Amino acid sequence: MASFTLFNPTPLSTSFKHTQVPLIGISNVKSGSFASLTMYRRSSQFCISCAAKAETVDKVCEIVRKQLALSDESSVSGDSKFSALGADSLDTVEIVMGLEEEFGISVEEESAQSISTVQDAADLIQKLKEDNNGAAYLE
Amino acid sequence: MNIRCFQRNFSAAFPPLVPLQLPSPMETHLWYILPDEVKNSALLNQYSELLSPCERESVSRMRGDQLKKRALLARALVRTTIARYQTNCQMNPRSLRFRKNLYGKPEVEWRNEDNFNPPPLHFNISHTSAMIACGVTVNVPIGIDIEEKQRRTKNNIIAFAQRYFSPYEVKVLTAISDPEVQRQEFIKLWTLKEAYVKALGKGFSAVPFKTFTIRFRDTTMRNFHPPESSVSEESDIVVESSEDPTDPANNWRCALLEVAGSHYGAICMEKDRIAGENAPPKLTVWKTVPFVEDVCVSGTDAVLVLGGIIEQ
Repeated sequence: MASFTLFNPTPLSTSFKHTQVPLIGISNVKSGSFASLTMYRRSSQFCISCAAKAETVDKVCEIVRKQLALSDESSVSGDSKFSALGADSLDTVEIVMGLEEEFGISVEEESAQSISTVQDAADLIQKLKEDNNGAAYLE
Repeated sequence: MNIRCFQRNFSAAFPPLVPLQLPSPMETHLWYILPDEVKNSALLNQYSELLSPCERESVSRMRGDQLKKRALLARALVRTTIARYQTNCQMNPRSLRFRKNLYGKPEVEWRNEDNFNPPPLHFNISHTSAMIACGVTVNVPIGIDIEEKQRRTKNNIIAFAQRYFSPYEVKVLTAISDPEVQRQEFIKLWTLKEAYVKALGKGFSAVPFKTFTIRFRDTTMRNFHPPESSVSEESDIVVESSEDPTDPANNWRCALLEVAGSHYGAICMEKDRIAGENAPPKLTVWKTVPFVEDVCVSGTDAVLVLGGIIEQ
């Protein structure tokens, strides 16, 4: 994940324009400044939506751990497949039900069927919450 | 020459699988392994040699030795089970190929070769941590599901049922006052619903659990009896689709078993119109350790019919 705080000490705002950042302040940029600024802008947007997802992923991991009674040592992360962790279909349905309760969403059978990893679940939650809120993210 | 024919030097370590006739129409063969009984690492290595590279990789991605072993035994069970059924010649379990249908249901991929008529064989597997089962039929699709009798849900049973089951099923479960009986009936219902969806083979989204109802029905009186009161061997299990309540999904036969004293097992298969709708379906069950021992357990305490009209 890009560490944009290294480049921009001021809080990110939706109206961020690259002209607000003095070129002089960016000392760690290796390649052409224009390219870096573009990359910076994109990566800052990326970071914002990533941060929300990371929290969602963590919550999903927690629910999965509880359902499958996994020890704290066993690693569960975004790319963990439910089946590889030992979840059978009843576990998966219980996990989905747990996610619905935790995040206040409703998951259709079609969508539930396509969930096979923790990340899939987090992405679906993200999408359903966005649809619910009708809010757009940063432009 | 048909390269799939058994070759004597296939593997010196393997005694040949005891060959078997295909099940007859409206007959189910059920094979199960108890993983705890399979401890010999040399045997497990031999099973591993039966798998395709892709299957071996899937096994390796399972987290932890127990899950790896379970995944390995599941593939070994499917391969050895299907290979038992001789048609033209004995099949090599290692050379069987599998694919998924349009909706993800696994099936055998028979290779089209001259003089080879693929057997009209259908199978389905299910596993828990303590048992792996494979059901086999001819001509008609089959779905099976097994669940440990002691399985507990994390969620409240009625809340779960309200979310996923049909209104009628919720009513039946809610009417059960003893929480332990309620839990058992829930698990039985779950396995039956799973087995039906797996038999249909169209994926869970095609037949959401809420859109069909499983009923136990006393065939002599044609009245509904709540499961806890009178599930006799004469009670039939009926699937009703809520899409069309006037025409119950009579195409499918379900049976509910208790297996090895520890599991509920549900079998669902399509009726074979040619064989005759009224022919009582037959069931034969084996406990197996492939290449080591096959024990026919039908008619023993290891297999109790809890519902559905089926003969052992």
